[in-house]
Order: sequence, then C-alpha cells, then structure tokens
Amino acid sequence: MNKPSTFQQYVTLLRKDLQREFRTKDMLSSMGIYALLVLVVYGAALSQTARQFDVLQMSGGLLWALIVFTSLLGLNRSFSHEKENGCLEGIMLVPLDRSVVFLAKATSNLLFLLVVEVVVLPLFYFFFLTTTQPASTWPMLLLPLLVGTIGIAGIGTLLSTITVNTRGKDVLLAVLFIPLVYPLLYACVSATTVVVAGGDIEGVYLNALLLAAGYDVIMVLLSWVLYDFVVSA
Amino acid sequence: MNPILEQIYATIIPSAPYVIAAYALMWAALCVFVVFALSRLKRTEAQLAVLESTLASRQDDLTDQIRKQ
Amino acid sequence: MAKDLDKKLAVGQGLDRYASAVGLIGALLSTLGFILAFVLAAPVNGASVDGVEMIGGQMVSNQLLFSQKIFYFHMPAAVTSMVALAFTAWFGIRFLTTRDARYDLRAKLATEIALLFIIMTMFSGEMWERFEWGVWWTWEPRLTTYFILMLLVFAYFILRTAVDEPERRATYASVFGIITFIDVPICFMITRLIPSSVHPVVFRTDSGLSPDMLVPLLLSMFGMFCIAFALYRLRLRTETMAQEVDAIKREIDE
Repeated sequence: MNKPSTFQQYVTLLRKDLQREFRTKDMLSSMGIYALLVLVVYGAALSQTARQFDVLQMSGGLLWALIVFTSLLGLNRSFSHEKENGCLEGIMLVPLDRSVVFLAKATSNLLFLLVVEVVVLPLFYFFFLTTTQPASTWPMLLLPLLVGTIGIAGIGTLLSTITVNTRGKDVLLAVLFIPLVYPLLYACVSATTVVVAGGDIEGVYLNALLLAAGYDVIMVLLSWVLYDFVVSA
Repeated sequence: MNPILEQIYATIIPSAPYVIAAYALMWAALCVFVVFALSRLKRTEAQLAVLESTLASRQDDLTDQIRKQ
Repeated sequence: MAKDLDKKLAVGQGLDRYASAVGLIGALLSTLGFILAFVLAAPVNGASVDGVEMIGGQMVSNQLLFSQKIFYFHMPAAVTSMVALAFTAWFGIRFLTTRDARYDLRAKLATEIALLFIIMTMFSGEMWERFEWGVWWTWEPRLTTYFILMLLVFAYFILRTAVDEPERRATYASVFGIITFIDVPICFMITRLIPSSVHPVVFRTDSGLSPDMLVPLLLSMFGMFCIAFALYRLRLRTETMAQEVDAIKREIDE
C-alpha cells in the first residue's frame, strides 16, 4: 500500500476539521456570536459620538479590531478540542511531515475566519454605516481582508500550538499574538480605511497591500518551517 | 543679545531638563541592572560556599568514622 | 562532537577573563562618547530663523537644537538591543539544532540584556519625543516599534514562566525568539512606509552625519557593545554557577 501523497494527507486533515465543524457548527457559531457581541460593545462605545464624528474614518480600525478579537477566540478553540480528545497525539503517531499538519490547521482556521468575516461585514454596515455614504471603492476592501486573514491564520496557528500546552492559555495567546501581528494590523487598517472612507487610493492602498502581503509571505513561511519543532515538543 | 541670536538659542534652555533626564534615566536603568546582576552573583556564591562547607564537613565525618574503625 | 561543544560553551575561563576589562573599556568609551557629543559635535539645525548670524566663524540661520544630543546615546542603545536580540535568535536556532540546554540559557540571558537596552532606548526616546512634539506619546514609527518590541520581550519572559518542562520551555522560547527577531524590522518598515494620518513621519532635512557627529556616536556605540558583553558574561557566570549549586544540592539529597 503506497503512502498517500502529501497533498492527500493535507486534504484528509483539512476534511477532518471541516467535517467536524459542519456537524457541530461549534466554532462558527461561537465566533459569530462573539463578533456580534463585540458589535454591541461598539454600539455602547460610540453612543456618545456627535453627528460630526466621522465613523467612516474609524470603520477600518473598528472592523480590524473586531477581526483580531474574534480570531483570538477562534484560534484558542480550534486547538483546545484537539487536546481534550487526544487528537494531536494521534496525529503525531502517523509518520507524516509535520508541516502538513500546520498547513491543514492554518487552512481550516483561515476558512472559518473568512466565513465569520463575510457574515460580520454586512452586520457592521447595518449597525454603523447606514447613516453614511461609503466611498464607491469599498469592494476593494475584500483584498486586504483576505491578505490580513491569511497572516492572522498563519502566525495564529503556530502560536496557538505553543499556548495550548501552557498555563493561562487564552491570555498567553493574546500576549504573544497581538504584538507580533501589529504590523499586519496597521497595514490592513490603512488599506481598508482608504477604500472605505475615500482618500489617496493610488498611493496608500497598493503600498499597504504589498507590505501586508510581504508580512504574510515572511511570517507564514517562518511558521511553516518552525512548526515541526513546536508540535513535536 | 540681539534678537536673532536669542531666537537661535531659544530652544536650548527649555530642552536642557529633558536631555539631562534622558541621560540620567538611561544611566539609572543601567545601574539597576548592574546591581541586580551583582546581587544575584553574591547570592549564588554564598550558596556555593555553604554547600562546599557542608560537603567538606561530611567528608570530615566520614574520615573520622573510618579512623575510629 | 560533544567535547567541541563543551569547549565552545565553557564558562569561567577564556572570554570571562576579558569580560571585566571589556566592561571597563566600554564604560570609558561611552563616557568619552558622551563628552564628545557635547564638546565636539556641532549642534543640529532646527527651524529656520529670520535673520543670519555669525557664530564661531559660520553663518547660522536656524535654531540650534540641544535636544538632538539625546541621539548620541539613544541610537547606540537601540542598536545594542537589536544586536542582543540577534544573539537570542541565534542561540534559539542553535538550541533547536543541537538540543543543548546551555544554548537556551544563553538565549534567556541575551534577552535580558536586550530588555535592558530596550528600556534605555525607550527612556531616551520618550524624553526626546516629549520635548520635540510637546506630548508624552505619539504613534510614530520609532516609538511604536520599540514599544511593540518591549511587549514582545515581555511576552518572551511570560512564555518562559508559563511552561514547566525545561525541554518544552526551551523549544517554545527559541521559536518565539526567532520570530520576534524577524518581526521587528518588518514592524519598523511598515510603520515607516505607511504614513499615519494622525502624525506625519518626521524626515529630518539634514539627515547626513558629519564626521564630528560620527565620532561620538561610534564611540558610544562600541562602548555600549562592550558594556552589554561584559554584563552578559557576568550573568552567564552567575547562572552557570547557580546550575552547579542545584546539581550539588541534588547530589547531597541523595
């Protein structure tokens, strides 16, 4: 019996995560509700802002803050159930290249995050932006959304593998994750704000997007290479 | 002093406390670390001395016992 | 192979003989740099003044900045902290390839030194910032990057305390150290290349360094390198001794 190819291993691992999610809808629902609750907090936070407050200018930042918080929740949970049921030890017994585990995990995290984002975006518009007129270039925000989420999923998968075995898992993930992801966050907020609120699109958008993509390439590659050490520890 | 010279030197006096504060804070941080490192060294050396004397006294006890036999 | 490693990682002889001498040299060099920063280096030009004056044989038409003198210690501290962090990443890589716990110890101590110099950088940067902009904090590239770096180093130490098993702790710390070292230049570049609409990036008009400014800067920098090295060896000697103490204690308890 030949050993399944790397791609087949990847697909199998990915399918396992996706099937689990389809059956229980555990992570998607909790992430979705959490995002909704953050929007409610935003509602209270912005309730005292006067008419002149340019919520459009702040919307990029608010959106990305929401994404960061939701991904922290999602990353924590994606590994905790593996640890509870001993899945991780089981996977380690199979003689496969550990980086495949990283790719499968990162892809499933990415997909879950993207689904939540797609749901949250119209909700965000509904709650905060119906009184304003977003610039006509707003569909362009889908690209920074994708690039940013890839980076978050990549580095987040590595960090959550580290923190699942420590004391104070959730807080430690936030402590490790937020400073590392700050440059990506900064670039994505800049790109998103400029297409939603309007502004110097030419200069800023492409610039920020390229920088975010550069961050992604470097960090995801690094996580891929280092994942073997982390998951075997 | 003519007014132009006054303008040229205008920012020096107000900035002096900040410059002094910057260097003083840096030096203070360095000193704190040096004190920390030296205190750790002293403590470890003291522990080592205690252990060595304990070992030495145990050796003495053993040799005494052997001599008695 | 193990013997080569033992010789390379030996503590107590070799490099340590020179450590205190190097430390003294470092103190001397940085003091010299400090003095020369005020005596030798010409003051930097600030905003322009309406009029021209003859000072010391030169035509001066700008305000002379005294606050820029902070730079002569601020930048060497920043560079030293990055060098220390480079060592953390290097020791992390060595640990992951050799699994020798002595590398992990060195990585931890290098990060301690990095933290010291980061705090020094932040103090001086804060004072400079306060005077120049009149506010206690702005989200400008330098301050932000160094703040994030400080958070990352704190995170490194928090991670170390959160893991109990030595082998696992060393692995996680090495990985995080490597990631941190690579993240810092990225952070700096991104915050510099994407202008913040709140605070414009300050590009100094005369950013060239004349020789009389270079001399105190380089002196201070090498002085700080020497001080960092001496402090690192001191901590290494202490921690290696502490490990011997623990080993002896365990032997006695048997």
